[in-house]
Amino acid sequence: MDNKQLTSLMPVAALILGVLLPGSVLAKEPALEKEHEYMVVANYPNNIHVIDLQTDQLYKSCELPDAFGPGVTQIAPDGKTAYILNNHYEDIYGVNLDNCEVTFHASMSLQKGERTKSIFSFAISADGNELYAVQNPTMLYRDHYRVQPPRLAVYDTGAGLNAKPIRTFPSPRQVTVMQTGDDGTLYMAGADIYKVDVNTGKVDVAIPSRNWQRPLYAPPDVLNAWPIQSPSKDFTILYTTAKFQDESYNLETADWIYGFMNVNLETGETETTDFGPLTEIYFTGIRSPKDPNLVYGVLNRLAKYDIKKKELVQAAELDHSYYCIAINHDGSKIYLGGTFNDVAIYNADSMEKLGNIQLPGGDMAISTSQIFIR
Amino acid sequence: MTIEGGQTLNTTALKPLGSGLLALAVALATQSSQAASEAEQIIQGKCLACHAQEGDQQWSRISHQRKTPEGWLMTIARMQIMHGLEISDEDRRMLVKYLADRQGLAPSETEGARYALERRLNTQESFESQGFTEMCARCHSGARVLLQRRPASEWEHLVHFHLGQWPTTEFQALARDRDWLDLALNKMVPELAETQPLDSEAWIAWQQQAEAPVAGDWTLAGHMPGKGNFHARMNVTSAEGEDQFTLTLTGEYADGTVLAGTGQAILYTGYEWRANIEINDQMMRQVFVLNDGQLNGRMFLRDQDEVGADVVAVRDAKGTSRILALQPSHIKAGSEAEISIVGTGLSGLPILGNGVDVVEVLSASPDLIRVRARASANGIGVSTPAVGAIEGERFVVYDRIAAVKVVPEFAVARIGGNGSSTPKVEARFEAEAWAAGPDGKPGTDDDYRIGMVPANWAVAPFNEVADADGDVRFSGQMNANTGVFTPAAAGPNPQRRMMTNNAGNLKVQATVQDGAQTLSAEGQMIVTVQRWNNPPIP
Repeated sequence: MDNKQLTSLMPVAALILGVLLPGSVLAKEPALEKEHEYMVVANYPNNIHVIDLQTDQLYKSCELPDAFGPGVTQIAPDGKTAYILNNHYEDIYGVNLDNCEVTFHASMSLQKGERTKSIFSFAISADGNELYAVQNPTMLYRDHYRVQPPRLAVYDTGAGLNAKPIRTFPSPRQVTVMQTGDDGTLYMAGADIYKVDVNTGKVDVAIPSRNWQRPLYAPPDVLNAWPIQSPSKDFTILYTTAKFQDESYNLETADWIYGFMNVNLETGETETTDFGPLTEIYFTGIRSPKDPNLVYGVLNRLAKYDIKKKELVQAAELDHSYYCIAINHDGSKIYLGGTFNDVAIYNADSMEKLGNIQLPGGDMAISTSQIFIR
Repeated sequence: MTIEGGQTLNTTALKPLGSGLLALAVALATQSSQAASEAEQIIQGKCLACHAQEGDQQWSRISHQRKTPEGWLMTIARMQIMHGLEISDEDRRMLVKYLADRQGLAPSETEGARYALERRLNTQESFESQGFTEMCARCHSGARVLLQRRPASEWEHLVHFHLGQWPTTEFQALARDRDWLDLALNKMVPELAETQPLDSEAWIAWQQQAEAPVAGDWTLAGHMPGKGNFHARMNVTSAEGEDQFTLTLTGEYADGTVLAGTGQAILYTGYEWRANIEINDQMMRQVFVLNDGQLNGRMFLRDQDEVGADVVAVRDAKGTSRILALQPSHIKAGSEAEISIVGTGLSGLPILGNGVDVVEVLSASPDLIRVRARASANGIGVSTPAVGAIEGERFVVYDRIAAVKVVPEFAVARIGGNGSSTPKVEARFEAEAWAAGPDGKPGTDDDYRIGMVPANWAVAPFNEVADADGDVRFSGQMNANTGVFTPAAAGPNPQRRMMTNNAGNLKVQATVQDGAQTLSAEGQMIVTVQRWNNPPIP
């Protein structure tokens, strides 16, 4: 371990040794309970919080090493380890949620003179044994920079605090969020939604996006920063597009449309589905695990759409903007995170607000919140 | 929101060029070659830690670019902020001067982009190249790019620097829907190398130009929105240091406010005039072009740069007579008004135009003639005034105002203060009067501009959303008399819907009284959030 890593891990090490650090007042105990439903979310200065969804109370908080941001999280299939992309997009950590211990660390940069960022881009295999990240390296030479081709790096999640890739493959550029299918396939969102064989590195298109061939449709615009692990096991990617009236391709008369691309992570089934008119922007959306015909979206309002009817069913006004949506496993409650340091809870049926959970620390910013069962 | 605007280089700590020049410039040599050799020593000592010597006075990267003084300042500041360069302010000033002189832009190469240097931050940019607009002007002003010259290899370095330093660049809106890096390297680099090449005839020609005289006495004429016209005299004296000067300025606004102060100036590249001058206890900055014995540009508050004046100045020189400005430059038929003619070498009888009688010459000097004038109805239209044998500028006699425009038609104000790192940015509006012209119909080609006239100012919700959100109540205050809008405090406002900040979308309404008739005009103002990243070239 080099000095940088040693220093960066100091706060955690100090806690474990029982040294009282100023500001280190977060509770690292108790362990999570089996079969229990929780939510994690990260915030400034660099915390990860666990919320008990039976009581909707803050259950515990862990301090993380290094700097916060972007706070993209992924929960291991066993519900014990939370992985987080942090330190200005440059490091992925694994945290044992039972005791707040950092058990995994991978620096995205793999060689001297390289600065590498992962842009919201990592996932855990269905068996929990591997972690995948798309890395965007730049070589920092003495008087100039040179952007390098991106790579898909595969890590053994048991590799500890100085994990190095066990395999690397070339990756397309502009890849962001990713999820893994039950069959081991890696799905990643880029110019198209790719389907990757993690053993050979072979990249195929699962769902065409930039290159879709939908008659009278403009190419979509896709914002992808929150890789939500949904209870319905859907990898859902929102898009906005315009559908022209005819082949004159007149934008003035075109319909503006919201839709989603979706991979069913259990079956590998894919779809591209318009769900309503584009009237406002959502940063994230999620499908109901209770009713597959419902999709929710959030930014300045929490909105619910009937997918078949392609119409807005209901919208709830919010106290402030929220970036990241999550829904519990029975589909009854929606949890909104991101922006400030409060999580808002809504009844998924009535869309009534049920309450807020205040978090210690600062803004969640663009952290991904995840709901999981330990 | 950090994704859309993920580029957060914080250069707010940068002070504009030339601050405290005199205090720190005592040891600077006056000989150009001596200064150059000192600058080269600084490069040897500071820059070659990373840059490579390529030959005599040739260094990697450095020697393959041309920029404005502000451009070079930003480059060196970036080396400090991002790459660990440690350099004194004095050495940095020396380098900026050396580089701007040796690798600057010809005056013609800055045309069309000077608004950025002059801090006219309300400028709405528009470029023919859609690629340029979406690739470059998406995150910063296009002017920042237009004020640089590089060969293809250096534009290519710039692409790699951008994506390496701000890796989300290729993931943002207007980038994530296309193959950004390929377009940047294979479309944008050739385009920029063609439109803004390192080598140009204009630059070669400019370097052959003889040095223009600067020291001496100057007459200034200016106009500041929210305050009015002014005229002044400025004495420029050579100071220690290459192309450095001390200034003394005295003058007055049309409303009688005295304008007086002293400061320092530096001339870069033979024509880029930059001065800091403390006027009435406020530091003002001059960003002028020296051309043909005239200075043109903008003078503004250094720490509140939306408050500023368009300025033109002329240097007294034997045999030079010039009319710079008439203040005011219009009069209503049938009325009497006091008119100031500002210029240099003025002598002889002032003639304002047909049908305008100079009733009385109130005072006369070579730089300022003040007269009382009376206009009759038979002189309606635009004339070129004269003083003695010289003619210049324009003077308007009108009988009625046919139309009024709000200037600027669209403006941006910014919330600020309230303990945040960024002060409020005001918006300043003026009412511009137009006459219908000979055909009596407004909106036709023969309309002519009368000039700025007093108005009563108000704001209103721009649309239903602004109305519902109470933007008029929350976003700030319009001064009914001056047209100056002061935005509200920064930060989330718990009183507003969704705790939003005091942003707003407002109609700007001017009401002008012209005799018995009342005219009105409308503009738009967006009151928005702070400009967090505010380098010398936006």
